[in-house]
Amino acid sequence: MGETGAAARPWILLSPALATVAFLLVVPVLFIIVYSFWLRTATGAELPGFHLDNWQLVFGDPFYRDILLGTLRIAAITTLFCALLGYVPAYVIAMSTTRHKTLLLLLLILPFWISYIIRTMSWINILGSSGALNTVLVGLGIVPEPVQMLYNEATVILGLVHFLLPFMVLNVYVSLDAIDRNLLDASRSLGASSLQTFREVTLPLSLPGLAAGGLLCFVLAAGTYITPLVLGGPRQAMFANLVFEAVITQLNWPLGSALSIVLLVVLGAVVMVYNRLVGLGQIARSFG
Amino acid sequence: MDNTRRYERLLDRYRHGDVSRRAMLGLIGASAAAYGVMGGPFRNFARAATPEQVRFDGWGGVVSEAFRQHAFDPYTKKTGIAVVDGTFGGADEYIARVRASQPGEFNLAHLSGVFDYARYHGLELTSELNEDNIPNLANVIPALQDVFRGITGGKLSAVPYDYGTTGIAYNRKHISDDEMKEKGAKILIDAAYKGKIGGWSDWKTRIWYGALQSDQDPNNIGDMDAVWDAIRANRDLVLKYWGSGAELMSLLAEEEIYVTEGWSGRIKALQDQGHDIGYLDPPGGLGWQECIFVLKGSPMEACEELLNFMLEPEVAIAVAEGQNYPPALDPAKVELSDKVKALPAFDPSGTLEGLNFFNAEYWNGNEEEWARVYSRVERGY
Amino acid sequence: MTGWNFLRLYTVAVYLFMFLPVAVVVLLSFNSRQFGSFPMEGLSFRWFVELWNNDAIVRAFRVSLLLAALTAVISTVLGILAALALVRYRFPGKNTITTLLIAPILIPEVVLAVALLLFLRWLDMPRSFLVLLLGHVIFTLPFVLLVVQARLVAIRPEYEEAARSLGANPLQTFFAVTLPLLLPAVFAGMLFAFTMSFDDITGTMFWKPGGVETVPTQIFAMLRHSISPEINALGTVMIVVTVALPLIGMGVARRLAASRS
Repeated sequence: MGETGAAARPWILLSPALATVAFLLVVPVLFIIVYSFWLRTATGAELPGFHLDNWQLVFGDPFYRDILLGTLRIAAITTLFCALLGYVPAYVIAMSTTRHKTLLLLLLILPFWISYIIRTMSWINILGSSGALNTVLVGLGIVPEPVQMLYNEATVILGLVHFLLPFMVLNVYVSLDAIDRNLLDASRSLGASSLQTFREVTLPLSLPGLAAGGLLCFVLAAGTYITPLVLGGPRQAMFANLVFEAVITQLNWPLGSALSIVLLVVLGAVVMVYNRLVGLGQIARSFG
Repeated sequence: MDNTRRYERLLDRYRHGDVSRRAMLGLIGASAAAYGVMGGPFRNFARAATPEQVRFDGWGGVVSEAFRQHAFDPYTKKTGIAVVDGTFGGADEYIARVRASQPGEFNLAHLSGVFDYARYHGLELTSELNEDNIPNLANVIPALQDVFRGITGGKLSAVPYDYGTTGIAYNRKHISDDEMKEKGAKILIDAAYKGKIGGWSDWKTRIWYGALQSDQDPNNIGDMDAVWDAIRANRDLVLKYWGSGAELMSLLAEEEIYVTEGWSGRIKALQDQGHDIGYLDPPGGLGWQECIFVLKGSPMEACEELLNFMLEPEVAIAVAEGQNYPPALDPAKVELSDKVKALPAFDPSGTLEGLNFFNAEYWNGNEEEWARVYSRVERGY
Repeated sequence: MTGWNFLRLYTVAVYLFMFLPVAVVVLLSFNSRQFGSFPMEGLSFRWFVELWNNDAIVRAFRVSLLLAALTAVISTVLGILAALALVRYRFPGKNTITTLLIAPILIPEVVLAVALLLFLRWLDMPRSFLVLLLGHVIFTLPFVLLVVQARLVAIRPEYEEAARSLGANPLQTFFAVTLPLLLPAVFAGMLFAFTMSFDDITGTMFWKPGGVETVPTQIFAMLRHSISPEINALGTVMIVVTVALPLIGMGVARRLAASRS
């Protein structure tokens, strides 16, 4: 095996994937950076050049900042709920002694394999005025007439949590499953209660998995626009909705490009911070 | 021209009921569907002198089935040109795709009225139809053609195809016809129905109704601030701004909302299903028309011939019955079916004088600012 | 131990939460009423019959299956090659390249879709099935890469070294040793790619060429006209397909894994 051949080999292996990503992702993204300095004229055509107008609008207008902060807030709440709802099942499956761990895990992840639009819209059939929940409540006489539950921030978060929970469970499960059982036994034999063992040993060791799941949930939540469109009320727009509106409804591609870049940079920064604190490798480990 | 004659004979037999629809389909037996799946990269069909196919984009569903059966298949049979049909989720999404495409990649589209026609003209995407190739154009209501001619200097880049209104739909269990008539457009800013009001998320419709609610002419708004205030008032009372016909219908049918703007055809469909929903075009209510548009760079003769097929009375009537919007055919020249005559917004006189349309020049001049401001007003600003 | 019981109860509740929408979709697909709402008025298969007679949906189903299968294969091949490089070799810039290859997950799909379209327009390249396919490859690739990479890390290089010392060349080593050990992850990655591609709407809307509809875009088109329970019936069919496929896949993967160890 010649030295030069060995040095080139990883690049040969990487080249198809890198070429795909470079050609279909990097170059197009550079393209929209250029685009963000163009202008949209009144007829809808574009004016090439170097104009800062879009950037002035994006940075100067509190509207975009507020929606961005709102988006980050919704993404954070979603992530928090995913963690709260996802940790316990992952823990129970990982710690249980049943032979069917994989099956249990697979079952929890199953809804993940079902059409996103249909799944999102099915919440209307559950929470709507003539949905399942209201039918039951009215039928049992708990409420005199249907309760209005849909089309607010809570339903948007609900839809997002349902969509993203599997990502969290998967990540937490993997890190819990990798914990050496001898550690837990040792902790117990030293006289720690199960709660203490959990707090002192299990939880710290599972934190990387929790963080990886959290990152995925956060980033994916911050980039959605269909969930708020279907389950939100008039005010529940997220930043990706603004991108969608600028690009599709207003045909203002330069502005849409600028907004895209903002979202990209903000999410990129979140990833960078995460990379510093935990390392991206953890995400990779969690998919095992 | 032998093919043409054969087709006409066939069509004639079909009209006289000698051939059933299914048999007609079988006779024609063209399958264009397989064409689209593998388009092949770097293919440029439109620049060819005799195209192998033309591309039509529409709303899908029943409309597309009606077109396929009554217009596309006979057309392919006659000319040998396949019709590839695609669907779009909305006019905005489609125009975005067209703009990002090569000239000639898209050919014909079922677009909404004057406003979009003018937008395409602004983007220099209009073509020029040779009307001699479309004899059926003579049956089309002149008023609908005139607005298009006004934009493109007397020529046409599209044929009008159907029309409808965006009026107010209301649940008659909760709102009486009298109350509705009395309040008109202002019922949508009536605080008594807070949380039970819906609306279309389209900024043009919102501004049009905002103008009506602030007692102004939507095509000549003097006090824009009053319109924005009306929109804000509406926004604070609205449960949900819907974005599709499906959403509109389910919100009303499941009594999530009691009153909303609505598309005449969709409300008619609800009524046909037995829901007690009323429909009113308030004074100054909004009319619109849809057209079959031919984009610049398309093979013109092939498209013109297809347009002529699509304007055949039975095609237009079948489409109208499918989507519940009256065809653009002049009732004085063409015998329309009873079902068509019973459709909401149908004008037996064929003059459409009772309807108000967007003044394209006025709205396009304000589009950029209004669309952007609306986007933030909707979100609470 | 009441604490443990509480946790199990909690877990069951989460399972119920995850399955509630699925149950509702399946239930309503048998509803005889026009609108998919409660209370249900009667059981019927009419929506399945209508679905079966809906040529557009059947056609879209075929396109979706073909697209998802091709996407899965291409993404997995690219993913395996890249994972091999990233795990088995040391070279400068590895961290940057890892980040780059994972980047498609982090970029909102609308942005990706429009950026790619603008670029293709600049290249004078019309939309085709190939563009749609490449678009799907790009956003499924990171997931496949992550799955395969994680498994590859766990396969000790000693096996491969043993094969080499017995005179196998790198290619032989890969097919005789590495690939068989990697198979469960390959299957898992393909499933990931397949379902993500099958389910995609945003990018597909922009990239699809004329006359091509996938199941999600077809659902979107159906929404303009009505929200008929046909969509629920379609959901039920998709549930059966998407549940059966991973189960079969997992079964195969487990059997393979079991026969190797």
